[in-house]
Amino acid sequence: MPKSMPDATLLLKAAIKYLENELLPTLDGYHRFKTRVTANALNIVYREVTLRAAQEVAERKRLVDLLGHEGSVDELSTELCEKIRNGVFALDDQQMRDHVRQTLKDALEINNPKWLTR
Amino acid sequence: MSNDDFVARLQAAVARHIGAPGTIHDFRRLTGGANKTTYSFDADIGSQREPFILQVPAPAPPVDRNDPLAEYSVRITGDQDARLMIAAVKAGVPAPRVRAIFSEADGVDVGWVTERIEGETLMPRILREERYAKARPMMAAQCGEILAGIHKIDLAEVPFLKYLSAARQIESYRLTADILGLRLPALELTLRWAKENLPVNPRHTVVHGDYRAGNFIVGDDGIRCILDWEGAQSGDPMQDMGWLCVKTWRFGGRGPVGGFGRREDLFAAYEKAGGHRVDPLHVRFWEAFGSTRWAIASLRLGTRGIEEVDIERSTIGRRIEEPLWDFLSLVEGRD
Repeated sequence: MPKSMPDATLLLKAAIKYLENELLPTLDGYHRFKTRVTANALNIVYREVTLRAAQEVAERKRLVDLLGHEGSVDELSTELCEKIRNGVFALDDQQMRDHVRQTLKDALEINNPKWLTR
Repeated sequence: MSNDDFVARLQAAVARHIGAPGTIHDFRRLTGGANKTTYSFDADIGSQREPFILQVPAPAPPVDRNDPLAEYSVRITGDQDARLMIAAVKAGVPAPRVRAIFSEADGVDVGWVTERIEGETLMPRILREERYAKARPMMAAQCGEILAGIHKIDLAEVPFLKYLSAARQIESYRLTADILGLRLPALELTLRWAKENLPVNPRHTVVHGDYRAGNFIVGDDGIRCILDWEGAQSGDPMQDMGWLCVKTWRFGGRGPVGGFGRREDLFAAYEKAGGHRVDPLHVRFWEAFGSTRWAIASLRLGTRGIEEVDIERSTIGRRIEEPLWDFLSLVEGRD
C-alpha cells in the first residue's frame, strides 16, 4: 500500500487530543465516563501501532531460542503453550519464565503501562 | 407495567409482608446487572419511615445442554440469594437483613426486600477519604472475623449451594480458554501451576464466592455489611481468603488485604473468631489462582461478539495481562 500522509499514528493522536482536551472537560456523568474509556482504548491502539512491531521481532527471537527452531510468533507461541501444558517445560524453567514475563511486560506496555509500576 | 403501577403494587406487597401502610418514597433504580436489578426506596411502616432495598433477580437462562461450561456453573437462582442471607444473619454475619420475599402472587416481580444500610462501597473513596481514616486500620481484622462467621453457616440450611473444587475450577478455565481459542503461555503457566499446587484435603464450607473490597458497605466505624451473595457456592473456605487479597481488588492501595490491611491481622482475627488455623501457603494458592480467575473473567467479558460490543467491556479484555503479571510476582516472591 502506498504510504499516505499523515500516518495512522498522527490521526490517532489528533483524535485522542480532541477527546481528552476538548470534549472531556465539557461532559459529566455517563458520557464523561464512556468518553474517558474511549480515549483510553484509542491510547491502547496508539501504543500497539507504535510498539508492537519491534516487540514482535524480539518475541520471535526469544521463542526461536527457547524452542530451537524457526516459525512465526503465532506458531511458536502455540507450540510453547502445548509444551507448558504437557509438562515438557519444568514450571521453574528459567528461560521459559523469563520469556513469559517479558511477553507479559510487553503487553502491559501497550494495554496498561501503569500496572508495571504499582 | 408503568413505574406508578409498579410502585402501587410494591406498596401493597410491603404492607402485606412488612407492615401497613407501606407508602413508598424515593423509589429509584440503583444498578441493573446481568444477574439482578437493585432498587432503593423508603416505606412507611406504622408511624416510622424505614429505608429498604429491593432486589429482583433476572430469570435464569435455560440450561444449554450443548454448552460444555454449563456443568461448572454454580449460579444460584430465584430466592436462594435471600435464603442464604437469612442463614448468614442467623450465623451472626452482617449480611443484608431480609424483610420480605416476594413471589408472583404478590403482583410484583419475584424478589426480596432487605433493610438498607447507609455507607460507602466505592473503594477509591474508602481508601483515600479522611472520614474513613479510623476505619481502615480495623478493616482487615473485621474481614477475618466476618469471614469466620460465613464459614460457620450450616451447609444443611443452604442445600442449594453447588460444590466446586479447585480442580474443577481449573478444568472450567482450561475449557474456556480452549473454546475461545486463546493461546497465551502465561495463562498455561498459571493453570499448570494451579494443578501442581492443589490444596490437600481442604475443609468444606459455605463459600461467599466474591468476598472482596467493593462488596462491603463501609462507614466511619468500619465494615457494616457484606453484599453480593449471588456467587456463593460450597467448597474450600480459603478461596474467600485468597480472593480478598488478589491485587486487582486492592484498588491501588498498599495493603495486601483489599488495599487497606495486613494479612497477619486478617489471619489472626479469623483464627480468634474460631475459624480454624490459617495456613498462609494455602491462602497464597487461592490468591494466585484468583489471578487466573480474574484473567479468565476479563477474557470472557472482552470477547463477546460484535453485536454485543461495548467500549467498556471490550477494553476489559485488554486487562488479562494484569492478573497474570500479578500471578508471576506472587509466586516468584516479589509481592
